[in-house]
Amino acid sequence: MQVYLPIAEMSVDALLLVGIGLGVGWLSGLFGVGGGFLLTPLLILIGIPSPVAVASGANQTLGASVSGLIAQWRRGNVDVKMGGVLLAGGLLGSAAGVQLFGFLRRIGQVDLAVALFYVVVLGTVGALMVNESIRAILRRRQARPRRLHEHFWAHGLPFKMRFRKSRLYISVIPPLLVGFGIGMLSAVMGVGGGFMLVPAMIYFLGMPTAVVIGTSLFQVVFVAANVTLLQAVQLGTVDIVLTMLLLVGGVAGAQFGAAMGARLRGEETRVLLGLLVLGVAGSLLWDLLRTPPHLFSIGPAL
Amino acid sequence: MTRRARFLGPLLVALLLGSAARAQDALPLVAALSQTQVAVTTGFTGASLTVFGSTEDPLGPGGDEVLVVARGPTRPIVVRRKVPILGVIWVNGPSARFGEVPGFYAIAGTRPAWQILPEPVRQQNGLGLDALPLTSTGARSPAFRAALLELEGRNGLWLEDVTPIEIRGSRLFHLRLDLPASVPTGDYRVEVLLVRSRRIVARQDLAFGVDRIGTADRIASVADNQPLIYGILCVVLATLAGWLGSVLFRRG
Repeated sequence: MQVYLPIAEMSVDALLLVGIGLGVGWLSGLFGVGGGFLLTPLLILIGIPSPVAVASGANQTLGASVSGLIAQWRRGNVDVKMGGVLLAGGLLGSAAGVQLFGFLRRIGQVDLAVALFYVVVLGTVGALMVNESIRAILRRRQARPRRLHEHFWAHGLPFKMRFRKSRLYISVIPPLLVGFGIGMLSAVMGVGGGFMLVPAMIYFLGMPTAVVIGTSLFQVVFVAANVTLLQAVQLGTVDIVLTMLLLVGGVAGAQFGAAMGARLRGEETRVLLGLLVLGVAGSLLWDLLRTPPHLFSIGPAL
Repeated sequence: MTRRARFLGPLLVALLLGSAARAQDALPLVAALSQTQVAVTTGFTGASLTVFGSTEDPLGPGGDEVLVVARGPTRPIVVRRKVPILGVIWVNGPSARFGEVPGFYAIAGTRPAWQILPEPVRQQNGLGLDALPLTSTGARSPAFRAALLELEGRNGLWLEDVTPIEIRGSRLFHLRLDLPASVPTGDYRVEVLLVRSRRIVARQDLAFGVDRIGTADRIASVADNQPLIYGILCVVLATLAGWLGSVLFRRG
């Protein structure tokens, strides 16, 4: 069934979009992330122009994350104070990111920038995750106890604040910076940033795993809403028909994924997610390195 | 004297043609479109319309010839060429900006235009992809123009002599114009030309519009005119969809 996307100004198969939403939603429910990092490259692959894919990806992430946030909220796994600090950084970051994206679009390097951001960020995050979770699996085998969290330079910074739910007493500067960086990447990459935020909260801020996913979803919901709004106002690239079709599949897929994820162990899930992230990074890197089949491309002049 | 004659010549021809038409009450060329509006709805997958008409004198080999040119709204286009940086990463390099690029262009004839018209006339009237008045700024290489022609052709937006005009009973002709799903919205012009002994002897201008209709139109116009309201709507709708999903899941 073909459907015409009014903003992308093209006709695509609605079932294909629902299917993509279902697949990405299933993975995101399984791993507890928004799934935007998979969605945006897939949309670009089926021929959606990158600016529309990025903006609509952010909008889809918003819907998918709301669903997850409600579930986590009921279980009391959201640290609102930490989420608020991350968010303050995130909103500033996404505003800066949309400006950066507009600049990249004017100089005609959106495709390169999006691809490079993906390769570098996904490559790094994926490698860290695989590395860490394999170590965790080995450690479990050796049954060595692990400290709650390590102290390092970030804990010596001023403006300390108490985060009760996360059982932390740390400076607000690291969470603000984490929020800013991820907000900026979200705007350029069209992702909520969950797959970056989760590791950053565990390893950099030292938050307990139980509250990490809920708090990350809290921040992602607001950042994705902000990115959607900014992209709609400044670039006019959010396609609501595209978003809704993806959400139909995504919301259902996320539920299947979450049910399946509950039966897997944390470390095994993280290895799988890490490998998936690395796979996406690898295929995007290959696209940048190989000789392109078409040297020329056309686009609307701005 | 000669200059005046050149000015007066076409005027005289036009007057003669006009009076001849009135006198005989028969036009050398009559053409029409099967529809004057193409509606782009949320289910739009492209459209096809027919240009049809008749001529006074017989068409075909040895007789008159007909050319049909359809042009869509113009917009500026940038053509970019990928170059390898340090021989490793491929990035968009030099670019050429073309000012007035038709979003749709199709030409067809009972025979190709270059066979039935002298080259200067063909260039002057923009009959044929190589006669399109494309001026560019930026990179100078002719490869950019060639790439633009190739890419628009591959998208089905620029067509040259894909299907010939069909003739029935030596005086009736018709041509099907296929518009792909990616055609730009706006006003389209269709020129029908009658060619006799390598000269354009009559022409008729037709027009049709490609317009978004219904939901697709409302979405696009809200997004264009009230981007803030549109953005807020997108946020609210996505949130509602997520909330609905969690409610359904809880019951399940």
